[in-house]
Amino acid sequence: MMAIYIALQGIVPNNSNGDRGQHWEAQLRKGCLEMAILASLWQSRLYGLEILRALSEKSELDVAEGTLYPILSRLKGEGLLDSEWVEAEAGHPRKYYWLTAPGRRRAREMAGAWNEFADKLTSLVQPVVGGK
Amino acid sequence: MTTTSLLSNVRIEKYLTRLQSSLRGVAEDDKQDILREIRAHIVDSAEHAPDPQSAIDRTLRLLGTPEELASRYSTECQLRRASSSFSPWLLFRTCWNWAQLGIKGTLAFFLALFGYGMALGCTVSVFIKPFVPKLGLWTGPEGFGIIIPDHADRMHELLGSYFIPVIAVIGFVFAIATTQILRWMMRQRTPRVASTAERSSQLAQVQN
Repeated sequence: MMAIYIALQGIVPNNSNGDRGQHWEAQLRKGCLEMAILASLWQSRLYGLEILRALSEKSELDVAEGTLYPILSRLKGEGLLDSEWVEAEAGHPRKYYWLTAPGRRRAREMAGAWNEFADKLTSLVQPVVGGK
Repeated sequence: MTTTSLLSNVRIEKYLTRLQSSLRGVAEDDKQDILREIRAHIVDSAEHAPDPQSAIDRTLRLLGTPEELASRYSTECQLRRASSSFSPWLLFRTCWNWAQLGIKGTLAFFLALFGYGMALGCTVSVFIKPFVPKLGLWTGPEGFGIIIPDHADRMHELLGSYFIPVIAVIGFVFAIATTQILRWMMRQRTPRVASTAERSSQLAQVQN
């Protein structure tokens, strides 16, 4: 019975593999946090507190600490980030994150889709903003 | 407060101890890594603050309770595994944990409960049928459903000899549909971003 169940699952269209690359596009419209985290790491390696500050200062995204770290852990698990403990002058080590090659690719794709989406939305809301 | 005294701060230690015991289902290496990172974060947050003790309080508040934080880690870890799994048991357990984080998780849990419940009910009926011939899909004064009627003469059985194959197929359809919908929901989940108002309110609570 279990074999039939697994076999039947195999013939149901499965988005997790073939369409996995497109999945973020749907997510993008719902939440930009993942993109913001990836973008914050575009230019340099950062540790958690620096990522929080970068998000807050550059995009006014106030992310709760309790939210950020589990997401960093997930992104690392998905192979988009890598990390390393570095002994800091502060006297204790810090865990620095950076984008892997798939992470850079994902960040670039997300940013492109975001710009396209923003452009279209801007033209849509233009009459509203202009009061026409 | 120096870095050394921060590293041995009692409140931080208590928080980390609770976090450690709450991080169930996380591999030991990952667990130690998480504890080390959270400790570093708290120390970093308080290090250059004018009032380190209140900075620690604020950071601990923003991290959430150790149980909440552990639940987010565990759930992120489980959701990642479950969203690519076909195991009803793993999906069901993940939904249970997810339900404790919000409405979407609660909906997923009830969907899992209903979908897998129906699938299980159908499967059990298929196995019982050869031993209980009166079991069937009945309709009549006693109601409608897969039941063993008290007065079969006043009821009408709908499937007859097709009961086993039809109910088996329905059970499979419930299992497959539930699995696919749950996997889709898990892939569609969005992380929580604290609103500025929420964060301000948290900070105000700490300052008071």
